[in-house]
Amino acid sequence: MEWLVSACFGVMIACGVYLVLRARTFPVILGLTLMGYAVNLFLFLTGRLHTNLPDIISGSQTQYADPLPQALVLTAIVIGFAMIAFVVVLSLRALGELDTDHVDGHKENPPS
Amino acid sequence: MINHLIVGPLLLPLFMGTMIILNTNQPIARRRILGLFSCLAVLVITIILLFQSVDGPIQTYVLGDWPTPFGIVMVLDRLSAMMLCITALLALICLAYAARGTDRQGKNFHALFQFQLLGINGAFLTGDIFNLFVFFEIMLLSSYGLVLHGGGGLRTRAGMHYVMLNLVGSSIFLVGVGILYAVLGTLNMADLAVRMAQAPAENAALLQAAGLILFAVFALKAALLPLCFWLPDAYGFTSAPVAALFAIMTKVGVYVILRVYCLIFSNFAGVGAGLLNTWLLPAALITLAAGAAGVAGSRDLRRITAYLVIMSVGTLLAVIGTFQREAIAAAIVYLPHTTFMTAAMFLVADLIGRQRPDAGTGLVPDRPVGQPTLLGLLFLTAAVAIGGLPPLSGFVAKVMMLTTVKDSAGAPWIWGLVLGGGLLTLIALGRTGSVIFWKLLPADDTETARKTAHAPVPVHAPADVFPAAVLLVISPLLVIFGGMITEFAFAAADHVINPVHYIEAVLGPDRSLPLLLSSGGE
Amino acid sequence: MTLALIPLLPLLGAFIPCIFHNRNLNAVSAGLIAAISLILLLLQVPQVFTGDMPVYTRDWIPAIGLSFAFRVSGFGFLFALLVLGIGLLIVLYARYYIAKEDPMGRFYTYLLFFMGSMLGIVLSENLLLLMVFWELTSISSFLLIGFWRHRADARQGAFMALVITGGGGFAMLAGFILLGHIAGSFELTAVLAAKETVHAHPLYPVTLILILAGAFTKSAQFPFQFWLPHAMAAPTPVSAFLHSATMVKAGVFLLALMVPVLGGSTLWFTIVTTTGLITLVFAAYMAMFKDDLKGLLAYSTVSHLGLITLLLGIGTPMAVVAAVFHIFNHAAFKAGLFLLAGIIDHETGTRDIQRLSGLKKAMPVTAVLTLIGCGGMAGVPLFNGFLSKEMFLAETLAPGLTGAWSWILPVGAVLAAVFAVAYSIRMLVGVFWGKPAQDLPRSPHEPPVGMTLSPAFLMAVCVLVGIFPAFFAGPLVHAGAGAILGPDMPAFHMAVWHGFNMALVLSMVALAGGAVFYRYRHRLFDAHVWCSRYLDGKTLFESLVSRMVQAGNHVIRFLENGSLQRYLFVFISATLVLGAIPFAVSKTPLLGTVAATPLDPVTLIMGLILIIGAVATVKTHRNRILSIIMLSTVGLVVALAFTRFSAPDLALTQISVEVVTIILLMMALHLLPPTTPKESSKARRRRDGLLAVLAGGGAAALAMAILTRPYDTISDFFLAYSVPGGGGTNVVNVILVDFRGFDTMGEITVLAIAGLIIYALLHGFERHAPDTDEMGRPWTKDRFPMILVNITRPLLPLALLFSAYIFLRGHNDPGGGFIAGLITATVLTLQYIASGIVWTRPRFHFDNHVIMALGLILALGTGLTSWALNYPFLTSTYEYFKLPLIGKFEIASAMAFDMGVFLVVVGSVMLMLVKLGSINSEDARTVSTSVLVEENLEKETH
Repeated sequence: MEWLVSACFGVMIACGVYLVLRARTFPVILGLTLMGYAVNLFLFLTGRLHTNLPDIISGSQTQYADPLPQALVLTAIVIGFAMIAFVVVLSLRALGELDTDHVDGHKENPPS
Repeated sequence: MINHLIVGPLLLPLFMGTMIILNTNQPIARRRILGLFSCLAVLVITIILLFQSVDGPIQTYVLGDWPTPFGIVMVLDRLSAMMLCITALLALICLAYAARGTDRQGKNFHALFQFQLLGINGAFLTGDIFNLFVFFEIMLLSSYGLVLHGGGGLRTRAGMHYVMLNLVGSSIFLVGVGILYAVLGTLNMADLAVRMAQAPAENAALLQAAGLILFAVFALKAALLPLCFWLPDAYGFTSAPVAALFAIMTKVGVYVILRVYCLIFSNFAGVGAGLLNTWLLPAALITLAAGAAGVAGSRDLRRITAYLVIMSVGTLLAVIGTFQREAIAAAIVYLPHTTFMTAAMFLVADLIGRQRPDAGTGLVPDRPVGQPTLLGLLFLTAAVAIGGLPPLSGFVAKVMMLTTVKDSAGAPWIWGLVLGGGLLTLIALGRTGSVIFWKLLPADDTETARKTAHAPVPVHAPADVFPAAVLLVISPLLVIFGGMITEFAFAAADHVINPVHYIEAVLGPDRSLPLLLSSGGE
Repeated sequence: MTLALIPLLPLLGAFIPCIFHNRNLNAVSAGLIAAISLILLLLQVPQVFTGDMPVYTRDWIPAIGLSFAFRVSGFGFLFALLVLGIGLLIVLYARYYIAKEDPMGRFYTYLLFFMGSMLGIVLSENLLLLMVFWELTSISSFLLIGFWRHRADARQGAFMALVITGGGGFAMLAGFILLGHIAGSFELTAVLAAKETVHAHPLYPVTLILILAGAFTKSAQFPFQFWLPHAMAAPTPVSAFLHSATMVKAGVFLLALMVPVLGGSTLWFTIVTTTGLITLVFAAYMAMFKDDLKGLLAYSTVSHLGLITLLLGIGTPMAVVAAVFHIFNHAAFKAGLFLLAGIIDHETGTRDIQRLSGLKKAMPVTAVLTLIGCGGMAGVPLFNGFLSKEMFLAETLAPGLTGAWSWILPVGAVLAAVFAVAYSIRMLVGVFWGKPAQDLPRSPHEPPVGMTLSPAFLMAVCVLVGIFPAFFAGPLVHAGAGAILGPDMPAFHMAVWHGFNMALVLSMVALAGGAVFYRYRHRLFDAHVWCSRYLDGKTLFESLVSRMVQAGNHVIRFLENGSLQRYLFVFISATLVLGAIPFAVSKTPLLGTVAATPLDPVTLIMGLILIIGAVATVKTHRNRILSIIMLSTVGLVVALAFTRFSAPDLALTQISVEVVTIILLMMALHLLPPTTPKESSKARRRRDGLLAVLAGGGAAALAMAILTRPYDTISDFFLAYSVPGGGGTNVVNVILVDFRGFDTMGEITVLAIAGLIIYALLHGFERHAPDTDEMGRPWTKDRFPMILVNITRPLLPLALLFSAYIFLRGHNDPGGGFIAGLITATVLTLQYIASGIVWTRPRFHFDNHVIMALGLILALGTGLTSWALNYPFLTSTYEYFKLPLIGKFEIASAMAFDMGVFLVVVGSVMLMLVKLGSINSEDARTVSTSVLVEENLEKETH
């Protein structure tokens, strides 16, 4: 299981990095989102993998998953969302200001 | 008795920022007053805190009253107190400058400004590494807003680079924090330090990797080569008061580097001991050199100033990079000087640029500025201070840094680059001054002059110039009270360089014991 | 304290002259200030001349060894006397010299500023304090040279002087710091006593060279001599004062000061003597060919400074005495000559020797005075220059010198003396004798008396000292040299006639030779012309500076090329390298000891879907809509993974965030180009792909490394105290709103900020969406499909109810304010999407700014209530209530906090989505009406 999860994490990071290195704002945003997902997953993994151990305190239950990483991930998800929302709008604004969606504002081969 | 003042620099900007949001549709004057009042109040609070910290112990503030290391804790030692104070003063001045019209160029400036303050102060105060992440995000997001404030193509492009680099940086930050938690099982920085000291050898590589990954992020914030190239555009193209305020932003990176690598990865931290001792100095020196090249090579005062910021970061980290008590004290003396003076230069540059309709801040001849004596005096003062010439603060700081690093291994390099960089700065600023104030176009018989003959240069009201003047007055004060300041710096350096104080303050003496043992008594 | 006042008065009083607008008041105020500190100085005479040294010390910055300490040694007194005495004469002279149109107030301000700094140098007791004043003189000289800012030569000269002397200052600072640490103190008295320690120290050579660099640049010694002639662009009084009498002597002052501690070594002798000799001869040679009077005097000054340097290099007691004496003499006649050159310039309109001639009829007084000055400069008997120059010649013949030195020095000295005679004759005869010049810009006549007084006084000194040296100069030279030499001060007698000796012979040879040289000068000129071009360092200096600027420019152009792709590439690879290094260097294993758990098919499939989705996102990223769909599958699988690994809260959050994010991307895509052009080269794609694979591999390895390691966490505490301490069974939620409530506080702040920025960015931003897709097919005109409308409207109340439920159960079961907020925001947005802003806005016309703010205030307020009970911020409490029907339920203060979270989420998300939805120009019009209100309010304040 650990192998699979790590692999997934790795693939997401790889794809994220590749997209982030593109020249247009949109793929960069996709890449950032993907990285965001990946990092959230990683943060979650720091609590290790648990099956059927929700963090609801009840008398019957003796073992629990590590709740702290989950709380951290929640915070991270929210912040990540805010950032993505912002960068999406920024890309629109840049398109308006620079009249191209190239990250460096280059005008050659303008968007179709 | 709990000292609620400690969270004042956080809660007050948050509250006032919210109040400003509620006044979004009210006349701007109201938002200005709220903002300025907030900055003033924060300044007062931080000054009180500073004096408490001078001869007091390290204070902590446990949020939610949960015992450390479980709850989030704010820690106020001498260094953080000083950083808070610098930030508050700088913020007040920059806001006063912005209130002369910059804040009208876009929406929500004042609210963002308050949240910016919140983020910076939080980064200085927090003793919890994930909470540090949260405050970084607050700081960055508001800074994105402020950098982009006013719009315009160049500004937007520069802002976009700044934003996207830092977004990637945030992800990497989380990875680093994740590793630390996954191995050490805690987030409280003092607790991390203790557990780091006890960590078994097989985790060495993993923990060091975490430390170095975090370093990459902090280096990006501090603008350390090769991660500093977002800065010249971002600072060069944004509005002047924002650029001036951001003089402190790179210092946040420096502060965090100092904090984390003198605490979690301190020399007593077992497997993580002295992680940066080999890394920081060379990187900083290269940064210093690159910054100097930029200063010498730029043809615009704003960009020159932006590179001066990079130089100052390089200088600070080179001195810190020796990880010696005295050197760190010298860095603590240099830090306020360089922050205030680079900020002042940004404001002065703006004042000059606004009176040179054709050339702006560029190094080409133009008609004389409207108020040559006034602006000339301001520029000269800033230049002398930044150039490290006596009798202003740059000289004292430089002498102290050279003196304190004298015995370290890298001394010849630091001396060479600091002095050489100083000479380049002198040359660049000398050129700038002589071009802007002396090398004038003949008043009438030129094309440009006739073209803009109808547009008279705006004359600055005292209120426009006052903020810059106040910043510059700080420099001689830093020299006159140099005795006190250097003493304070040494005391602050004691707290920074020896993590045991910090850990005792946060976790209590018994928890800091293992670290003492691992450090062989110290 | 009076000691400190001597330099401080002119420094602090510098601004006074420029507050007056009357030229006389300018001059008088400046004169008064100088006079007062002169009096203060003279008060020290009794002590100084009885050989002891008044000192005033106060601590300043002990940490760096800087103290506020002054001393009046005999030598310092001699210099201070020159500075203030000549200074006063200059103030008088300048009153007549500076033209009406020039800002005289500023001139005197700079002058006083310099005077104070110079006094500081010669009276400092602390090395660093001396350094402070040292650089101040550089700055003031920069300002004074550039006084006539409109002249290019003035600007260049000023800049050059600043860079050379300032740069030398940096070197000297380094030298001082080293010296201070070797000697163990920065107090001069202590430093001067530490000769043995210093000479024994390994760093002695470095220290010496650094300090000499400072002294040589300041005193324009070879190869730094070239800045001084170009400093002559300054007004003549400045040239007389700074660039011949005082400032340029700061260098030799420092040399003399350092003789007792640094002197006496072969290194010192070799460097200083050689430099002095070269400067002496070279500059004297150059001076002969200068047509500009000031240029001639400038090179002559350099040459005389070389002479003094040479003497100090020899360093024998008598040499030092000669040096001190010559410093005094040179100041007198050279300052006088400059003032006379100024007069000639002022009255005839030119300084060109070629054009001037036969002035002695028109200006007899000036002629006589110049005669005296040139006599001194050439070293003619009965003028003061003769005495010190003969002492100098005697020293070059001193038996102490061995080997080649024993003949090089005398030869060089005589040669220089010959040149000196030649250029002195040229200046005198060339200007005043011969037939009167006709084509002068102004018809020459004597200047106003006030202008003649100063040079007259100085020339009087020259003659008096020349005839009665023992009486007029003896005490000063004794005190001065005595202060340097201390015990080994030789007994000497100054008189015009020393009897017939070798030195006298050499003097006579020089005088005769000079006359001959002058006679045949024209041949020399021809010989000189071709090489003169290469002998001016200015061109070299300027090409150096411009080349340096170029270099810097290239460096930053190369490094900072404005490409985000490169910056990101560098950043990511740097992180990768940093992360990899520890594993590379240390032998510790990557994986830990914990065994991997077995893999079940469902998870495997999930994982594969995720991987495929991620890769597909990359593959399809040019077709943007498709790639969004692929991305969303990834997001959903991540959410499933959270449920799979027992994190229901995360799953809920992930899904709701997922939904909103996709909505956002879709809205953005409506305006962005729908496809990504293919532009990055194959090589770049390969490069990026490689980095991506490496990064991914590294990431996976890290994940594996931590998953296979044991750890003990602080979480047990949260599990233990969640119910008793936080009053909630959902530990994750309790952590969020209670244990780590402060994080959440920050988190919602981030959301609010995002809302604010997005609002700011999109404010007044319109963009027309394309009517057709990339293939030219028109988008449907039916913008609000019936079905969607009919589903969403009834859905609204249900959804709100559901989110209320999610909110309330949050504290004990998966859910909570954040998720509830997102759900609410989503359904509200759905209304906008389905029915359009035109329909929706009037129906929910609450200001999202306000909702957001109220949420923050609620959260903040909840936290603050605990202050009342004297608990820290955010301390929580909870209570159980029994209500009919509903039964036992709980109200925790944390829930109020959670309510705040809810409001902020709703407010900010709505702010973003509504604003984003209203960009499209058609809708914008309807929205902008509501925006107009704000606009008007703004305008009123403008």
